[in-house]
Amino acid sequence: MYAIECKNLTHYYGKKLVYENLSFNVEEGKILGLLGKNGTGKSTTINILNGFLQPFSGECLIYGENTQTLSPDTKRRIGFLIEGHIQYSFMNIHQIEKFYSGFYPDWNSAPYWELMSKLKVTPTQKISTMSCGQRSQVALGLILAQDPDLLILDDFSMGLDPGYRRLFIDYMREYAKAEHKTVFVTSHIIQDMERLIDDVMIMDYNKILAQQPVDQFMNTFRQFNITLTSPEQEVDLDGIAVNIEKVKDKVEFYTYSTEDEVKNYLTSKGIAYNSFEEKKMSLEDAFIGLTRKY
Amino acid sequence: MLKSILYKEWIKIRLVVWIALGLGLLALINIFLKVRHDIMFVDAANYWYSFLFRGFTYFSILKFLPFVIGLAVAIAQYFPETVNKRIKLTFHLPVSENGILIKMHAFGAVMLLAIFVVILGLFTAGSAIFFPSNIIRASLLTMLPWFLAGMATYFMVALILLEPMWIFRGLYAAAAAGFVTIFFTGASIGAFRPVLLPLTLITLVLSCVVLFSGYRFRKGEM
Repeated sequence: MYAIECKNLTHYYGKKLVYENLSFNVEEGKILGLLGKNGTGKSTTINILNGFLQPFSGECLIYGENTQTLSPDTKRRIGFLIEGHIQYSFMNIHQIEKFYSGFYPDWNSAPYWELMSKLKVTPTQKISTMSCGQRSQVALGLILAQDPDLLILDDFSMGLDPGYRRLFIDYMREYAKAEHKTVFVTSHIIQDMERLIDDVMIMDYNKILAQQPVDQFMNTFRQFNITLTSPEQEVDLDGIAVNIEKVKDKVEFYTYSTEDEVKNYLTSKGIAYNSFEEKKMSLEDAFIGLTRKY
Repeated sequence: MLKSILYKEWIKIRLVVWIALGLGLLALINIFLKVRHDIMFVDAANYWYSFLFRGFTYFSILKFLPFVIGLAVAIAQYFPETVNKRIKLTFHLPVSENGILIKMHAFGAVMLLAIFVVILGLFTAGSAIFFPSNIIRASLLTMLPWFLAGMATYFMVALILLEPMWIFRGLYAAAAAGFVTIFFTGASIGAFRPVLLPLTLITLVLSCVVLFSGYRFRKGEM
């Protein structure tokens, strides 16, 4: 059963194509991280999912309903964290809790107040005067109190220092797994995602480069470094590598092939090397390897 | 849910509401102190004469007050929604998007109307001490366009603030400036009487235009 189904999404800003025939699903109970460089369509996708943008063609469904016409009952099942932890900053923590509680019959304020008790804020302090980290805890507390089935978190790490980022991730991961929640999350800080997500979807301009469980991706996507016998040697790895960078005699390339397959390929192409090394990658390394540095 | 919506709107505009009432009260005190002073020095009959036949309006200080109040209430209510596109939070609440916008807008309009009713009520009560009823009626008819301008300003500024595209905001602002100016043209007592009904009807139509900006925002215009 899917919480989110997007089918054949195509969108343009003016004449600029964002993506064409993009399709993906998010299984219930999974935490999916959407990764992509700036301008690849992450925010566009979030906006379509939340009904704030009508795609040029195609559709997204959340719990079977088109996101352009979500019913109040379905919206009640979705928790939405806006990029930068935006909230009604003219309210204080009591006012905002009172405001939201009126919309959700199953509102559970206990986790909200538990988080608020850790913040060093006064009861009447407006959210606008809080630090970004404190605001993130307010936004997180409100989502936990709403207790939605699906959480859409748009760039949750923006503006947070490492401590708050870690706090946010650990809370979210524990909550999502314990309560069987579905999470759709984007972040610019990929090292955070590694601790949080089950599945990864990597977007590049106009297309999806990878969508699979993050463990599977990290086990199958590899980086190899070789030192050529001669810096002038031509290196053609088009048959196996998704990305290659060559500086003098050093060649760094990324591939879904195994070590044996790579070695066989190098031999078949007559590429001579002095050293061969498989480098262990973090998710961030793998992301850069797949999408390139520029 | 309605209680929550009204609670949020009240938090946003309450300061402006109290300030508007305070300003209205100060303006009225100013008006009636002046009237009392002038009647003591001129005499009531001459004072009334200058109002009826020379176009002297003892309440001209109120002319732009409703406009300023309408502008302030609209900004207090809708500007916080546009900062960082915070209106997304409102549209994400589990209620119909148009429904919540209508409730927010109706609350703002009712609060504005309430401020105007209080000011006009106190004005009428104060005037009753110094003037006969026909002068009070003529005064209210003269002031009515100014208060309609306050309502129209509120509706148009809401439309402008929620509009996602700057070029459209500019066009709406130009249209709003042109329309609101109409309410302040002409100085003679009761001059607006023949057009009050059409102006009221147009203002009522304007009360709904904010839904168009809300729709454009939801469709992702930028």
